[in-house]
Amino acid sequence: MSKTAIIYSFHTQKSKKVAEKVIEAFGKDEIEVVNAEELNKEVIEKYDNFILSAPTWFDGELPNYWDEFIPDLEEMDLSKKTFAIFGLGDQKGYPENFCDAIGLLASILEGCGAKIVGSTSVEGYTFDSSKAQRGNVFIGLPIDQENQARLTKDRVSKWVERLKGEFFN
Amino acid sequence: MNDLNIPKLYTIKSTPKETLEKWYRLMTIGRAIDEKAPNYLKQAIGWSYHAPYAGHDGIQLAIGQNFEKNKDHIFPYYRDMLTALSCGMTAEEIILNGISKATDPSSGGRHMSNHLAKTEWNIHSVSSATGNHTLHAVGTARAIKYYGEKAVSISSQGESSVSEGYVYEAITGADKEELPVIFVVQDNGYGISVPKKDQTAQRKVANNFAGFKNTRIIHCNGKDVFDSMNAMAEAKRFAIEESKPVILQANCVRMGAHSNSDDHLLYRSGSERNYVVEYDPLGKFRRLLIRYNRFTEEELQAIEAETKLVIKAAHKAALAAPDPDPESIYNFVFAEPVVSEKYPEGLHNAEGEKKKLITALNETLKAEFRHNPDTFIWGQDMANKDKGGIFNVSKGMQKEFGNKRVFNGPIAEDFIMGTANGMSRYNDKIRVVIEGAEFADYFWPAMEQYVDSSHDYWRSNGKFVPNITIRLASGGYIGGGMYHSQNIEGSLVAIPGVRIVYPSFADDAAGLIRTSMRSRGLTLFLEPKALYQDPKAATVVPDDFEVPFGKARIRREGSDLTILTYGNTTHLCIEAANKLAAEGIANIEVIDLRSLIPLDEETILESIKKTNRVLIVHEDKVFGGFGGELSALINEKGFEHLDAPIKRVGSPFVPIGFNRILERAILPNTERIYTAAKELIEY
Repeated sequence: MSKTAIIYSFHTQKSKKVAEKVIEAFGKDEIEVVNAEELNKEVIEKYDNFILSAPTWFDGELPNYWDEFIPDLEEMDLSKKTFAIFGLGDQKGYPENFCDAIGLLASILEGCGAKIVGSTSVEGYTFDSSKAQRGNVFIGLPIDQENQARLTKDRVSKWVERLKGEFFN
Repeated sequence: MNDLNIPKLYTIKSTPKETLEKWYRLMTIGRAIDEKAPNYLKQAIGWSYHAPYAGHDGIQLAIGQNFEKNKDHIFPYYRDMLTALSCGMTAEEIILNGISKATDPSSGGRHMSNHLAKTEWNIHSVSSATGNHTLHAVGTARAIKYYGEKAVSISSQGESSVSEGYVYEAITGADKEELPVIFVVQDNGYGISVPKKDQTAQRKVANNFAGFKNTRIIHCNGKDVFDSMNAMAEAKRFAIEESKPVILQANCVRMGAHSNSDDHLLYRSGSERNYVVEYDPLGKFRRLLIRYNRFTEEELQAIEAETKLVIKAAHKAALAAPDPDPESIYNFVFAEPVVSEKYPEGLHNAEGEKKKLITALNETLKAEFRHNPDTFIWGQDMANKDKGGIFNVSKGMQKEFGNKRVFNGPIAEDFIMGTANGMSRYNDKIRVVIEGAEFADYFWPAMEQYVDSSHDYWRSNGKFVPNITIRLASGGYIGGGMYHSQNIEGSLVAIPGVRIVYPSFADDAAGLIRTSMRSRGLTLFLEPKALYQDPKAATVVPDDFEVPFGKARIRREGSDLTILTYGNTTHLCIEAANKLAAEGIANIEVIDLRSLIPLDEETILESIKKTNRVLIVHEDKVFGGFGGELSALINEKGFEHLDAPIKRVGSPFVPIGFNRILERAILPNTERIYTAAKELIEY
């Protein structure tokens, strides 16, 4: 059976809580947990399926732990790997770059041949623009703990249910 | 990682090691000074203003690394310490500026600390008024384009500066003229304590200009060395190759407070203060150097140790440098004017056909444009077919000299003035004439640039002076009311650094405009518009006439009373004097000052010694008018010669009315001058 890992920064607080919800929904025993602060090529080579946490920083940037890994990541052949990305964003405070990090990371992974799964509808969000948006969907799962925290549990559980199918079929 | 369309010229893996080492040295030296600066204040050595740059490291390194000294032009703002180092300035020069030493290359201790410049390399001295230099950068870019140089003009500024109206004027003008200028917006989210949301509806302030036709907008991560280098290199390539402006918005963090007079604990949460430090660009760069095996920990530590030695030596040398001499405060207020060998007193005895004042100005402007190919003129209504300025003073100039030297400015007075300053920075041969506004009293929007330009010579310790003649059609007697008939010299004489002249006759107008256009420095040239076509202001005008600054002209000799005047009222005073003479009451001396700054004190005091009475007449308001200064001067230096109190005639302390009845009630006339003179004679 293919191996699945969830990668998030253990140093975070809000992202960590959402990641824990994802793990719970996925099933603790079905997924391995990796600290994004300790990423290297070997970690990526080790698994087949990934759930990545990519919160958006500042006015539309990847957090350092992802940004600093990219010079290695973008050289990898990821054509046999599948990724799903969730990320925290703030659609009221930062409507011009809502969850840009999801889109930025997805583009880099796609450039390496990776398959991206786990797109979600843009319905239910209000924002101006997002690099995560592709037509009527986001390429991952935006989570807005600042303005829509009460929707998070439901969004995560529905997303993870779909992921299970997309990862293993 | 913001703009995926930017070529990746620089990456952690591909950049040569010696380049990475140079960058790391610059960044560690910069950070060491940035952190050391507050200690100078604590020890009462100086550096009372320090705006730390930590958090802007990526973009500042990139600006400097993309600047070619003596070719490109850069206008750094007060937070640009690493930019200055990256442009080539040394640690010692930065500290000399910080502690305001006489040998400080930026200003010799005259300008605030953290205002770094090295004029001889085209690192220009800028104002403390945020974003003020955007207009200068645009003016310099205009010169780069005119002279066909493959170079770029860079304005560096914070994101809050984009709230300033003149920044909009600058970007609008650069877009319209398609100029090779980069506006680098270093965005740290705050204007002192004011968050971005209180400045602009759009967090990405550069996107406010998205509708501009010719301007490219690039976003980058100003905290990341490589992203910043790539963005800046692309901005420069585009600006030069396409000859179009770029707004480069670099997202930074402000790791510290705005400055040492700001306490960011009052408005930033602990969490925010922590995470901005976690995103320290220097820390990130260092991690990348190690992670990708470009340097070992030991190699970096060796560089850091060498940095300490560099800082120590720079500190020692700067402390030993001389302080500014208090006697030097009068140096570089006014630039040296040309000296006229043929007309040292600005007088002539030529005979022939009389010319109107407007003709004298028009012909002299053209003659000077033929004389000096590096002359330019612009303003509103300046050039369209047969139109040449609102009053047609510059008629025919565009036809003769082309639309690159003679052109319309937008209705933006500050832009007209500010780009004149900027173009003048390109080289010292350039002479710019501007019609500062349609009418003198429309000039107020340009005051920000006027005041700043008045500082330049002094502030740069003599290294730069804007060579500009500001022409303004001034005064009333035309029924123009407010914004068309008022005088502004009473307010402007209070600002040091600008010569102010105000002729009354055609020959003096010709002689003064020639001297203004040949001299270095800034001259405000006020033209009495009511006299442009008036036969009484017409005179014979020698083709090569020159009137030196600070030389008054006795227009009517007399012995019983001195009248000091200038502009429109010179003629009224002569009329009143002639009437009093005809009536056998008095023989009055009328002195046309011609030049308010500098002032011909000698001619004034010599006349008063002879007449023992003085009347001061001008069109501007009595209260707050230039006559008050004349009166104080005479009181101080000529009191013992006076047999009567000093009297003044001018406008009352009200605006100018439009209805002729109101205008007549306000402006001085021959009758009021006659009455005042008679009272003084009879005193």
